[in-house]
Amino acid sequence: MTNRSSDLDDSRKKGAFYGWYIVAALFFASFLAIGLRHGFGVFVKTWEEDWGVTTAAISLAASIGVLCNGLSQPIGGWLADRYGGRPVLVFSLTVMALSTIAVSTVSSVFGLIILYGVLVSFAAGGVSHPAMAVVIARWFDRNRGAAMSILVAGGSVGGLVVVPFLSYALVEFGWRAAWVIIGLLALGFGVPLLLLIVRNKPSELGMQIDGEQHDESNRELPQSSAQYIGPDFVNKWHQALNSKPIWQLSFGYFVCGITTLAVAVHFVRWAVSEDITEATAALAFGALMFVNALGVLVVGVLSDRFQRKNLLGTVYLIRGLAFISLIVLPGDQAIWAFAVIGGMSWLATVPLTASLTADVYGVRNLGTLFGFANMSHQIGGAAAVLFFGWAFTRFGSYDIPFMVGALTLLAAGIVSLSIREKTHSVRYVQVIPEGTVGDESSLRDDR
Amino acid sequence: MPWLTETLAHHSEPIDPVLWDWISAEINHLLGISSGVMVVLLGALIMVLPMALLVMARRRF
Repeated sequence: MTNRSSDLDDSRKKGAFYGWYIVAALFFASFLAIGLRHGFGVFVKTWEEDWGVTTAAISLAASIGVLCNGLSQPIGGWLADRYGGRPVLVFSLTVMALSTIAVSTVSSVFGLIILYGVLVSFAAGGVSHPAMAVVIARWFDRNRGAAMSILVAGGSVGGLVVVPFLSYALVEFGWRAAWVIIGLLALGFGVPLLLLIVRNKPSELGMQIDGEQHDESNRELPQSSAQYIGPDFVNKWHQALNSKPIWQLSFGYFVCGITTLAVAVHFVRWAVSEDITEATAALAFGALMFVNALGVLVVGVLSDRFQRKNLLGTVYLIRGLAFISLIVLPGDQAIWAFAVIGGMSWLATVPLTASLTADVYGVRNLGTLFGFANMSHQIGGAAAVLFFGWAFTRFGSYDIPFMVGALTLLAAGIVSLSIREKTHSVRYVQVIPEGTVGDESSLRDDR
Repeated sequence: MPWLTETLAHHSEPIDPVLWDWISAEINHLLGISSGVMVVLLGALIMVLPMALLVMARRRF
């Protein structure tokens, strides 16, 4: 038996590749962080009654929370690039858990703004997709899309489990105890899990990306180092702005923001304008979120087998069809057509964009660059929510904004399909780093 | 500018209270389980993954 086959046998005896343990730990962190943020809505009525304030006042804390969370995501990504994903994730989840427990002590909207709107929400940015992508991209190459999609699905599952948990805890123990319980769960299970399981990169455990074995017979291609960088690798993140793929990906994500966030805000209003009840609209939107959890997993697996840009372009075009269905079908049919067709594409852009960014630019600046794409997403979403509202007021119908949405999705599909993945992605271009000796540790500062 | 602050998160905004009221009513109608039992069941569900993962990781090393 050769050394190589002996290594493989040892690996099989030890079970699955360790990277999947990390995916499971990050899935749980995403599950808790996003589930907790979704759970805010459960407490609105209780706070209104306890404190004698309006929904608008509570919404202010939520809005500030959303703003802080959006701003902190690229910062979390940048810190993960600089110091490694593990410390950022551990620190952020710890602060988030402690702040969550502290929310149980507030007795005014101002306290809620400070503790939830600022502290919890800002810390949640460090437990978000950019910081997690930094870890995943260092552990996975061949299954990067599948691993990313599992993380994204973790957030959806968190919404499905943590929100009811908080709701029943509210009924059983009161709102203060509910916040203490979920904070303790994060502190007692989430933080230790990240500390004990997550490692920034495989070399910390003497492993290689994808669990590959050292192959002494092939020393010419330093495989791991090659997979940590990309054909368009840059030392400084801003240097990537001189290349096309980051703009193509960001344009797509900009349109993603236009078409998801505007719908999230205006979906019920549109349904009411079509004589559909709010409950039916809420049910349809819930169905959309369920379909999206399935869709993101399917797309993630497919993305490791086919060109990611083709899937990304297809996802945008499918979402475009969903928008067209809102225009051409009667309201009662359109709402379900949109839930199913739109649901398939809703979150699928996240693992595709993150994986493609890593494939093209490598992992050193992934958190910052993916954060840049996220920023374009939020800008597009903010502009679209305003535009959709203005257009409905001006024309009395959502047909024009939906048509604009469909056209922008067509453009996003074309732009995504035009990405030259076979000349820009490490999956298709052999990259041999200069001065490497077969180990990713030779990449300076590549934490 | 509530339209701006409402939108600055990628799919992690608080749940729509209308949607949650409907879901919770349906769950109560279908299951008829007391809230205390639901807290225990869902709490156990939340704790299963990290505990199982820690045990598996410990066995591995």
